[in-house]
Amino acid sequence: MPTKDQIIKTLKDRFGSAVIGSESPKPERLFVDIKSGKVRDISNELVAMGGRYLVSVGYDSIADNGALGMIHTFAFDRDSLYIGIRTSVPADNPVMDSITPDIPNAGWSEREYADLLGMKFTGHPKPKRLILADDWPEGIYPLRKEVPWNLMPPAAEDVAYQLDECPEGCSIIPVGPYHPTLHEPAHFAVYVDGETIKGSDYRGFMTHRGIEKLCQTQLTYNEVPFVAERICGICGSVHATSYAQAVESAADITISRRAEYIRTIMLEIERIHSHLLWLGLAGHLIGFDTVFMQSWRIREPIMWLGERMTGNRKTYGMIVIGGVRRDITPEIKDDILNVIQKVEEELLVVQKAIVGDTAIHRRTKGVGYVSTQDVVKWSLVGPVARARGVDIDVRRDHPYAAYDEMKFDVPVFNSNDVWATVLVRILEVFEAIKIIRQCLDKMPNDGPVLTELAAPIEPMRHGIAAVEAPRGEVVHYVITGKENSPERWRVRAPTYPNLQGVPLMLLNNQLADVPIIIGSIDPCFSCTDRMEVVDIRTGGVKVLAQDELETLSRQIK
Amino acid sequence: MWLTSKIKQVLMVAKPGVVTLKYPFVPRPAPENFRGQPYWDHHKCIGCGGCASHCPARTILVRDLCQELRVMVYDGSRCTYCGRCADVCPEKAITMTDRYELATGDKNDINETMELFMATCQRCGRCYDHETTNAIDKMTRIGYKYDNLEMRAVLPVSSEQFDMKLYEKTEKFKRPEKMGE
Repeated sequence: MPTKDQIIKTLKDRFGSAVIGSESPKPERLFVDIKSGKVRDISNELVAMGGRYLVSVGYDSIADNGALGMIHTFAFDRDSLYIGIRTSVPADNPVMDSITPDIPNAGWSEREYADLLGMKFTGHPKPKRLILADDWPEGIYPLRKEVPWNLMPPAAEDVAYQLDECPEGCSIIPVGPYHPTLHEPAHFAVYVDGETIKGSDYRGFMTHRGIEKLCQTQLTYNEVPFVAERICGICGSVHATSYAQAVESAADITISRRAEYIRTIMLEIERIHSHLLWLGLAGHLIGFDTVFMQSWRIREPIMWLGERMTGNRKTYGMIVIGGVRRDITPEIKDDILNVIQKVEEELLVVQKAIVGDTAIHRRTKGVGYVSTQDVVKWSLVGPVARARGVDIDVRRDHPYAAYDEMKFDVPVFNSNDVWATVLVRILEVFEAIKIIRQCLDKMPNDGPVLTELAAPIEPMRHGIAAVEAPRGEVVHYVITGKENSPERWRVRAPTYPNLQGVPLMLLNNQLADVPIIIGSIDPCFSCTDRMEVVDIRTGGVKVLAQDELETLSRQIK
Repeated sequence: MWLTSKIKQVLMVAKPGVVTLKYPFVPRPAPENFRGQPYWDHHKCIGCGGCASHCPARTILVRDLCQELRVMVYDGSRCTYCGRCADVCPEKAITMTDRYELATGDKNDINETMELFMATCQRCGRCYDHETTNAIDKMTRIGYKYDNLEMRAVLPVSSEQFDMKLYEKTEKFKRPEKMGE
């Protein structure tokens, strides 16, 4: 496995003057500045060296150097190393090579910056609109600084997203934006030949609320965690922790060990309640409401526990830059131990009852098959990847908070189907309970849980942090700015890469399995749609899908 | 195997029985540390505006009507109950109460307005003259001291530099015509 020096040396040897410089503010972070012409080759080289693509970050630096910046980030899981390759293109001709043909997961990131910054990617296989509403005027790029955060262009009617071409002889079945199986709005067009799925297209981002732009322009550092928490209704602490860690990494802030332990406990409590929630929903999606009722019953004491610990049953509001807001008292400690004990006992009963149920086996085994190679190629994350034989877990590979001192197993299965995701999630609840017990046992008492910042945060420092959310890994990238506010804050929720893998999972399955396959990634469209643009009421997609279908049906007559 | 798992499922369901609470017919008090509706104690408040400058939802607004009179408005309709205001208050004038049944037909029921008399410094009275810059005025990024109380909104700062002609330059500013027309 390559070290940082080896990576820099290899890049310099192979690409010479295209590598401008490098910076390593921390042992496990490396930023390499490169020329934009070689971006595709260097990305491929990093992947060949064992890097896993995370996300791309585009930003507007027109005021500084008249350019648009682009950062592709990679994780080297065995070395606990994050690499960002930074490049920039002039704002008047923002053209760079697409890395999507080789790294398919970059597809969305690049489409995102084509929408939001006006970048152009040569060789992109699907250069369609992703983030912006279909009626957003062309030529206005909302993430550029000249565009105000609260810009609302007038809405237009009958502007449509053009779906991918339907394969010969197939029919289109629209799923969503409002559909009983989707709990949040997203539109899947499923192309079926009889009952068998031959392809699909996705149009989402209907709920993007402009959170990144809002926070960059209107909020200060320590207000952002509370907005970050509201990116997702289920994994709030995850986003807040990830953001706080990104800023702490950029600004080199050390927090007390006790605060890190408390963060770990919060993250694991969140994992327990999220997995129980998913287990219930999965049961519901395949028509097995007993599981739904029982796992939500088991989950409820966890919500009440959160209320007693933090003052709210969700959106705990615990995590800020510098630590956490509330300490864990001895009474709360006993409370946590009692509650997780109960959850463990009851979940064991549920596990025994459903693992032997042949009806569940028939609905989930062999459904949503994706080969391990494809999962690696598409950089899928979280339980979706672990159920398909890819052994990645940020908690173990890039330890943060107090995970370096925790002993836990990472469940990995090789059956590559939805059934394995069920097992992974159930087993992870038991692991989470194990971690909470270790935390409470070992928690040191080394000072205040909230560390005061000694100095203002210096501008233009880069920080990246990933946190293992219940759904996969959350990546936050922060460029620090002036005026006590981040210059750029990029969020990548786990559903962002995983949704891109859904067409693979759907392929050659039965139409009736669509709900559970989409459900199996535990999709969180609000997380994915968190984007930079103030939401304008689209509705366009739904209307047009109908229109298209109507037109099609008339043509058939 | 199928039958045994069904028997297990019946036991799993039968053992806990009915767990649904009788709320709202039986009241359910919130736990001790609950973050409910915030309460301002005007006897303790010194009008420093710390709560306003830390509020992520920008739900606390401050406006100086004159040198002596400062109005502070809490707009409960937008509050996220994070409790940050209570954390940062130097005088502990804000407490998070255990009230949570806040649904109302009239927004004013959950708003709170305080008019505070601010003392003028006896030396020259100009240190906190709000037209010149001082440390507090540097917080104008979020509209501090000049919030628009009627609109319940912080004046947006970033819009000023946007040129509306940007619209006209765009290719598709002319909205597409309706289908079939």
